[in-house]
Amino acid sequence: MADFGVGVPDEIARLSLGQGSSPTDTLAPNIRSEGIVAVDVTAKFSDAVKTLEPGAIVKDGFFTLFDSVAALEIMDPKMDSGCAAAEAEVEQLYDVSRPLLPEEVLGIIDQLLCHEMSWHLGYPLSQTLFTSFYVEALSMPDPRSIQEATFIRGGGHDPNEQPMLQVLRAYCLGMLKSCGYVNERIKSEHYYEEEDFVTNTYNRTLLASLPTSAIQDVLLEAMAALESQRGSIPDDLVEALLLRLKLRHIFLDAVECPKHMKEPELAKNPWREGLAILSALKTTHSLSSPVDEAFSAKLQRKLASTMPPRPIVQLDFDVAFGHLKGLFEDALELIDVLHYTDSQCLLTFVTTFQAKKPQPIVYVRTLLQTFLFDAMEVLGSMSIRQLLDDDFAILTMPAHQYLDRLNDEVEAVQDPRYAMAQQMELFRTRAAQPFLDILRTACQNRCRVRRTLCHLLRDWEALQLDAEEIDQILQVKAKEQPTMYRPSMGSGGVESYSLPLSSWTYLYKLRQMEQIIQLGFELEIYQADELAGMYWYLNYIAKSRLHHTERIKMFVIKRVEEAQAHPIPSDPTVGTQLQRSLMYTRLSLLDAAVTWELSDSLSCLYTVLNRLKLVKAPPRPYGTDELRYEIRMRPFAPVGLPVLPTFEEFTAGTLQPDTEVEELFEYAERAVEGAKRGFEALSKMTAEESFSVGSHQRWAEAAKNGLKSCIATKIAIAAVQKAVAKAADSENLKIKVEVPTPQKAYHAFWIVPKIVPLA
Amino acid sequence: MAVSSTKQVPVALEYVQYEHRLESQYLPAIRALISKDLSEPYSIYVYRYFLCQWSHLCFMALDPKDSSLIGVIVCKLEVHSSHSPPTRRGYIAMLAVASPFRGRGVATALVKKAIEAMASRNADEVVLETEETNTPAMKLYEGLGFIRSKKLHRYYLNGNSAYRLVLLLKAVDPDHGPNYDEQ
Repeated sequence: MADFGVGVPDEIARLSLGQGSSPTDTLAPNIRSEGIVAVDVTAKFSDAVKTLEPGAIVKDGFFTLFDSVAALEIMDPKMDSGCAAAEAEVEQLYDVSRPLLPEEVLGIIDQLLCHEMSWHLGYPLSQTLFTSFYVEALSMPDPRSIQEATFIRGGGHDPNEQPMLQVLRAYCLGMLKSCGYVNERIKSEHYYEEEDFVTNTYNRTLLASLPTSAIQDVLLEAMAALESQRGSIPDDLVEALLLRLKLRHIFLDAVECPKHMKEPELAKNPWREGLAILSALKTTHSLSSPVDEAFSAKLQRKLASTMPPRPIVQLDFDVAFGHLKGLFEDALELIDVLHYTDSQCLLTFVTTFQAKKPQPIVYVRTLLQTFLFDAMEVLGSMSIRQLLDDDFAILTMPAHQYLDRLNDEVEAVQDPRYAMAQQMELFRTRAAQPFLDILRTACQNRCRVRRTLCHLLRDWEALQLDAEEIDQILQVKAKEQPTMYRPSMGSGGVESYSLPLSSWTYLYKLRQMEQIIQLGFELEIYQADELAGMYWYLNYIAKSRLHHTERIKMFVIKRVEEAQAHPIPSDPTVGTQLQRSLMYTRLSLLDAAVTWELSDSLSCLYTVLNRLKLVKAPPRPYGTDELRYEIRMRPFAPVGLPVLPTFEEFTAGTLQPDTEVEELFEYAERAVEGAKRGFEALSKMTAEESFSVGSHQRWAEAAKNGLKSCIATKIAIAAVQKAVAKAADSENLKIKVEVPTPQKAYHAFWIVPKIVPLA
Repeated sequence: MAVSSTKQVPVALEYVQYEHRLESQYLPAIRALISKDLSEPYSIYVYRYFLCQWSHLCFMALDPKDSSLIGVIVCKLEVHSSHSPPTRRGYIAMLAVASPFRGRGVATALVKKAIEAMASRNADEVVLETEETNTPAMKLYEGLGFIRSKKLHRYYLNGNSAYRLVLLLKAVDPDHGPNYDEQ
């Protein structure tokens, strides 16, 4: 095990030169010019230096930690990539014209595949594909034509004609070209450099100037050349090599799939074809014979970079293959996002897709972003207004006059419909970014999703203020009559307005707050003794969402009653829209309820475990619980409503000091029973009812895992209860508690403790 | 190594605050101790960056027999103002203990010294990053009162993620608005 966390950020990693950056060298001024009086300061400088102690640091206020980490010690072989003992030129280390056996070509290809996947996973080209002598030979100097793109340049070389080298060349060309597409795709979308992916190509173009069709022709020719070798090469090797060339051909089509955004089935084809041959590719790997000397970390010396030399990344073939397969499966799956049903199904699609374990790799995540947002259009054909209006209509404004497109035509300023058009457009401008950010955020890596949501929450808080103002203007213009609203948990009624825009905004805000807490469980941000408190807080937010949804439902029902009283025969969509909103409130209520109840149950259970000292808090001699509460609640501090619980309320909710253990068991049991029934109802919902058209399988899977979490919680409660009942002494319960990692839990949001009997 | 399972009798070590005059005597040993667990060494400027500016926040554990270096902690303390309100933020940059002496509370003692030195210099908070797989480190810091505030995806060169750990020493002035999870 390593030390105790040497923690200077790996800023050294962020130091490589970007490709295409122009040299910034500026010429020194001519000291012989008229305007310059040159003074020799050597003596003064030496005198000044003598006053310094050895090792003293001389720096200005702008010299940062980053600068100090960026500094290299020249001639230290671990830092200085140019520092090498007298050694042969790098090129002489390996002869790319050497004849290769078919199994060696297969071996090199499979090694390249591992490197390609390592690159996809976030390692730089310098430690992966660019350690290949073959890749270097094809890349430098940058070939201007397909004829020039050979291992041995300078015309008329026989080795290039060897069929095995032709196969390898075709494979490498196909691979490099597709890497160029992948790199451009990732760069064009939102991702985190170094963290998700390294786009640096060290002045290599990845064959940008060669047409894809020419490379595909080379692949076809190599396949033909291979076929002609049948008889002299064992059949299984021919097949294995053909498969790999075919995969490269398919992959070049696949990376161009965004051009078929309007024909999803066409976009799916190459991914489907690739998947069909992958298993055969895996089984033929055993025929290969790796050629380790065809790769060298020393090639890094030739790359335009100040980076110190770094070892070649070694990824096991089976692991690499797993990622490759995942890439094809995920890409195929994500194309279904193009079948738009409605805004909520889209959100369900994106969130369940990104919640997959393991999360789709960055290329797939950026491809999803392209489909979602390309050229300011959603899914290649919708305007952002359509998407937003669809969402307003589902959540709070079914068949609502504010959303009537005809309002836009009204020119009379005093007409209320004029104000509706104006104000709604104003709100859309404000809401578009925060709304699209929800989708964009979901496409990031899981750590970033949580961190970005913490920022996004502030935008939604600000949006809510705008929404409230616009709601008030519009309710006056529309002469809305207040309705008596009786909250299910409160007493008495209040005269209320529907406030459709701020209701819409508030619902999203609450969902984000829940997600931030839930991702905290998934990312293991909380320690075991914090779980009681964090589930208590999740319960608090879910309860707010439930109450808010009840309020929304009341106004939707009111709209249904109005529509029944005054039907508009001319508009057949009214009924459908109202039904859809009712369906959505049902889903939203149920989802909030299961979150409320399961978090309630787990909070009570962990409270018991804390009290019985089965889950122990560390000693924590520094800081205070109140200060730790402040850190925990930082993401939520900017939110006005729901009000942040005080530390005292939080402590009381977490410890429940006035409630006996037996009572806590009862609460926990009752709550988990409710949650279980809720999850059962959820898992029986159709795709339409659950707003998961296009992603129902993933959605239903999550609901089932929620249900399993309930069952596991029930078992845990019963086990602790039994142990307490049996034991004479609460200090000696003969059980221990294992808090599983999220990977071992049924659902990453529900960390259910495992109770293990002690012998 | 596991802190708890290999717990041995604490050794009586000398704990000494670093000073610039000790550079020739101890800097090579400090570098060697820290570099042992790094895939890439830091240049001497990284050490001098910290040691010349915050020697008072660097502590060494020495073997009383021969004054050799057993463990070291390197920190800084600066006003952090990338978000409002500005805070005086202490940062634990490096911590290492020679392997034969691990599991005896040396690291804990060094971290305590550093926290106390930072607290006496009015630090509002102390932060650090640690590798997600470094369970002993996490256990050590969390035992002292740190909590995880966020996870940093693929933070280290080896592809591992990190946790940011935070110990708040003072409440943040609420009049200055929230100090939320910063970038």
